[in-house]
Amino acid sequence: MSRALELAERAWRAAEGDEADALVHVEESGFARFAGSEVHQPTLIRDETVTVRVVRDGRWGCATTNRVDEDGLRAVARRAAEAAGRSPVDPGFAGLQDAAEVPAVEGYDEQTAALTPEEQADAAAAAITAAEGFGLYGYYTSGVTQVAVASSTGHAVSQDLTDVSVLALAATEAASGFAEASGWRAGDVDPAAVATEAADKAARTHGASEIEPRTYRAVLEPYAFSELLFYFGFSSLNALAFLEGRSYLSGRLGERIFHPSFNLRDDALDPAGLPKAFDLEGVPKQEVTLVEEGVARDVVWDRRTAKQAGDGRVSTGHGLSAPAQSFGPIPFNLSVAPGDASLEDLAAHVEDGIHVTRLHYLGVVDPREGIITGMTRDGTFRIEGGRVTEPLVNLRFTTSVPDLAAKLLGLGRDVTLVNRSDFYDERYPYGTLVPAVATEAFTIVGTGSGPGL
Amino acid sequence: MHELAEHAIGAAVGAGAGYADARVLLRRAQNVSTKNGEVDSVSDSETEGIGVRVVLDGAWGFAGDPRLSEEGARDAALRAVAFARASASRAKTRVELAPLAVETGEYRTPMEQDPIEVPLERKIELCLRAEEGLRRREVKIAEASVRALRESKFFCSSEGGRIRQDVVECGGGIDALAVADDGRVQARSYPSAHGGSSAQAGWEYVESLGLEREAARVGEEAATLLTADPCPSGVMTVVIDSEQMELQVHESVGHPTELDRVYGTEAAYAGTSFLKPEDLDALRYGSEHMNVTADPTTPGGLGSFAYDDEGAPARRRPVVAAGLLVGFLASRQTSALIGRDLAGSMRADSWSRMPLVRMTNLHLEPGEGTLEELIADVDDGIFLSTNKSWSIDDKRLNFQFGTQIAWEIKRGTLGRMLRDATYMGVTPQFWGALDAVAGHGEWRLHGLTNCGKGQPGQHAHVSHGTAPARFRDVRVGVRG
Repeated sequence: MSRALELAERAWRAAEGDEADALVHVEESGFARFAGSEVHQPTLIRDETVTVRVVRDGRWGCATTNRVDEDGLRAVARRAAEAAGRSPVDPGFAGLQDAAEVPAVEGYDEQTAALTPEEQADAAAAAITAAEGFGLYGYYTSGVTQVAVASSTGHAVSQDLTDVSVLALAATEAASGFAEASGWRAGDVDPAAVATEAADKAARTHGASEIEPRTYRAVLEPYAFSELLFYFGFSSLNALAFLEGRSYLSGRLGERIFHPSFNLRDDALDPAGLPKAFDLEGVPKQEVTLVEEGVARDVVWDRRTAKQAGDGRVSTGHGLSAPAQSFGPIPFNLSVAPGDASLEDLAAHVEDGIHVTRLHYLGVVDPREGIITGMTRDGTFRIEGGRVTEPLVNLRFTTSVPDLAAKLLGLGRDVTLVNRSDFYDERYPYGTLVPAVATEAFTIVGTGSGPGL
Repeated sequence: MHELAEHAIGAAVGAGAGYADARVLLRRAQNVSTKNGEVDSVSDSETEGIGVRVVLDGAWGFAGDPRLSEEGARDAALRAVAFARASASRAKTRVELAPLAVETGEYRTPMEQDPIEVPLERKIELCLRAEEGLRRREVKIAEASVRALRESKFFCSSEGGRIRQDVVECGGGIDALAVADDGRVQARSYPSAHGGSSAQAGWEYVESLGLEREAARVGEEAATLLTADPCPSGVMTVVIDSEQMELQVHESVGHPTELDRVYGTEAAYAGTSFLKPEDLDALRYGSEHMNVTADPTTPGGLGSFAYDDEGAPARRRPVVAAGLLVGFLASRQTSALIGRDLAGSMRADSWSRMPLVRMTNLHLEPGEGTLEELIADVDDGIFLSTNKSWSIDDKRLNFQFGTQIAWEIKRGTLGRMLRDATYMGVTPQFWGALDAVAGHGEWRLHGLTNCGKGQPGQHAHVSHGTAPARFRDVRVGVRG
C-alpha cells in the first residue's frame, strides 16, 4: 500500500461512525530555478496533505491538514464532522464515489522519482550552458507525487506520478526566445535541447518591427495554442459553466461550430501526456470527446454537475477536491488531434500574417463568446510570402477562440506536451497535448514593447 | 517554535552555510460560500511546517519540511545546504545581502473578534442572507462567500533575528450572474470581483462590508446590464472608480516597481519591468497628481506586518512622488544590488516557499474633491467600475482591462449604463494622463488574495488604498 493510500485509509477511519472520504497528496519535489544564468529561488518541497470530507444526513463538510500523526488525523476528521454538522442539507451533493476499478495508466518513472537535488541542479546547469550568449531564465523541476482517495464506501485508489519540466527563456536586453518540455520520464526531457531551442529563437528576434492592429492570419506554436485552449477549456468546457450558461458551448452542443479538421478530447489515459487514473474525488478517468470533426460534443463532468444535469449523466472523472468544487470540473488533459503539416507548411498556408511562439497573462474578456485577451512574447514574427520573416514586437490580441478554431488553415503533424501547471499549492502535474495551428483569425488590437528583458 | 527555527539554523551553519534563516508557520483558514440558496462549499484547512533559507558560498538554497520537530528542522536545513552547494560551484556571481540591524520583536493584528472563532452557522447565515438579496428573475447565479485566516510565524536568522508575528485576516463578497433569454451573460460583484475584499482585521470587518445592504443594488445592476448598450469605442476621458483603481495600481505600479523584476529574475514567468535601476529618482512615471506609497504599517492592510519574511522592519516609503519614480519594492539582495536601503518587501505564501519581493500595501494617495466633482469636469467620457478582466504585458507597459459596468458621462453628469467596457493603455503615458484623484473622503482600502508570482507559484495577499481618478485621452471599447 502506498504511503498516500495508507494515510487516506487512516484519515477517513478517524471520522468514526460517519460516511467519509479522504484525499491525500504526498509530494517531494525540487525546483532548480535560474535567472540571468544563475540559480535563483531554488526550492525543495516535502509535504503530505490530507483532506477529509464527512457526510451526515445529506450535509457535508471538509477539512484539510498536513499534521498526519494520529492526533492530527483525529483533529481534521473532527473539524470536518463539525463543518458537516453545522451546514444545512445540500440537495446538490452527489454522495461519495462507490468502490470502483480505475484504469491502469502509466505516468510513473523510477529514475525520475530518484532524482536528487544535485541532479536537478545539474540539469539546470546543462540548460544554462547550452544557451551560451544569452542569459537563461526558467527552471528545471522534477517531482514525485502520490495521490490517493479512500472512503467508507470501500473505494480505495492510489496513483504514483512523476513529472519533469524544463522551461527556458533565453534573453538579452533586446532579444528573447522561449521553449519548454515536459513529461513524466526525465529521460524524455533534454534541458540542453530546450535551452538551445530558446536561444535559437531569441537570436532571430533582434530589431523587431511594429504592425498595424487588425485581424491576421497566424501560426500559433503549441506553447501559444496550449495556453489559449486551456483558458477556453477552463471557462467553456467545464460542465458547471455549461449548465449555468456561462460557457461558449451552452446551447451549442451538436452544432458544427469549429473547423471540420478540429478534434478535441480530454484524455488523461494517454501515456504521451501526464496520465491520471482518477480525479480528486476518486472517480475513474474517462476519455471525453469534446469536439468531433468540428461538432461540439460534450464538456467534462464531476459528480455534482452530473447529478445536476440528471438524465443519466455520470461524472467523467474531472472533479476537483471537495474544497475547490465551486470551480466545477476542469479538463486537465486536453488533447488536439494533429494534422499533417510542418511548421513551414503552416506558414505557407498563412501566406501573409504572423507567427506566435508564446503568450503572456491571458484574461477571459467574455466567456460566453470565448473572447480572450493577452500578449504575445518571446518569439513573434511576420509571415510574408508563406515564410517566416522579420521579428515583431509583442502584440496585444483580443480574439475569439471559437472563431480561431472555426477558421483553421491547418494543423501541425507533431503534438507537443505543454505543461500548464504553475506549481501553486500541492503539486498536481497536468498539461495539454497540442500541435501548432494555422488560422485565418487572430485579432491584434495593439502593439507592446519589443522582445528582450 | 523559535527553538525549532534556531535548531535549523544551527544545523545549516554547522553544515557550512554562511547565512541561514528559518520560518516556522502555523496557519488555519476557513472558507464558506453559498450559491442560489444552498451551501456551495465549507472548508477548514490548516498547514504547518518550517522553511529554511541559506546562503552557502554565495549561492541560495531553500527547503521546507512539514514536521515541526528537531528532525524535520534539521532535515530541511541540511537539504537547503545541499541544494545550495550543488549550484555554488557553478555560480558566476555571489549573493550579497544588504546589512540589517538585528531585529527582535512581535506583532499582532489588532482586532475585536477572531474570525476563525465565529461559528460556521453564522458565516453560512450571513452568506445566505446576502445572497438572497441578489435574486431577480434574470439573476441565475447568486453567490456569497466569506473567508477567515489566522497564522503565527516564528522567524530566526543566523544574524540573531528573532521575531514572532500573529496575523488574522477575513473578508467576503457577493456576485450576481444574470443570463438573458438569448444566452448573453453579465455579472456584478461587491465589494470587489474575484473573491470580494479582505482585510487584516477581526470579523467586525466582514460585518462592516454591508453585504446584505448592497445586495439589492448589485442584483439589479446585473439584470439591467443585460439590456444596456455596449460601451462605445473611441478615445475619451475616463473616470475610474476606487475598486478598479486598485487593480490599476496593482498591475501598472506595484509589479513594475518590484526590484527583482527590474533585475530580471522573474523574466521567465511573471515578467520583467519597463523600469531600470537607473530610473530611480529620474523617471517620470505619471503626472504631478500621481503619488504612490508602499506602507506595510497601514491598519487593516493585508500587507501589514512589523517585519517582512527576512526580518527587515516595516517602513512607509514613497514609490512615486508627484509623478517621479522615487522608490522600489525590494529585498536585502536587491537592495545590495542597487546600493540603496530599500529592503522590507520580502514575503512567502507558505512555509514551503522561499520569500519573494512582493507588494505589501501600495496606495494611490488621495487628491482633492469628490467623485461627483471628478465627473462634473468631464464633457464627454465614461465612468468605469469594478474589475471584470485584466491583462498586461511582461514589462508591465501595455495593458487591457475590462470592467463589469460603466456609465457614459455627458456634460458632467452620469448618463446611460454601458456593458462590456474595456480600456487599454501604456503605463507611463496612461499615468501621465492622470489629471485628478479624488480626496480622502473617497479613499478606500481594498484587499486582494490572488496575486500570483514565482516558480513554484505563490499567492500574495496585498492591499491597495485608492480613490477614484480621472484620466484624459484613454482608448476605450476595445473589441476582439
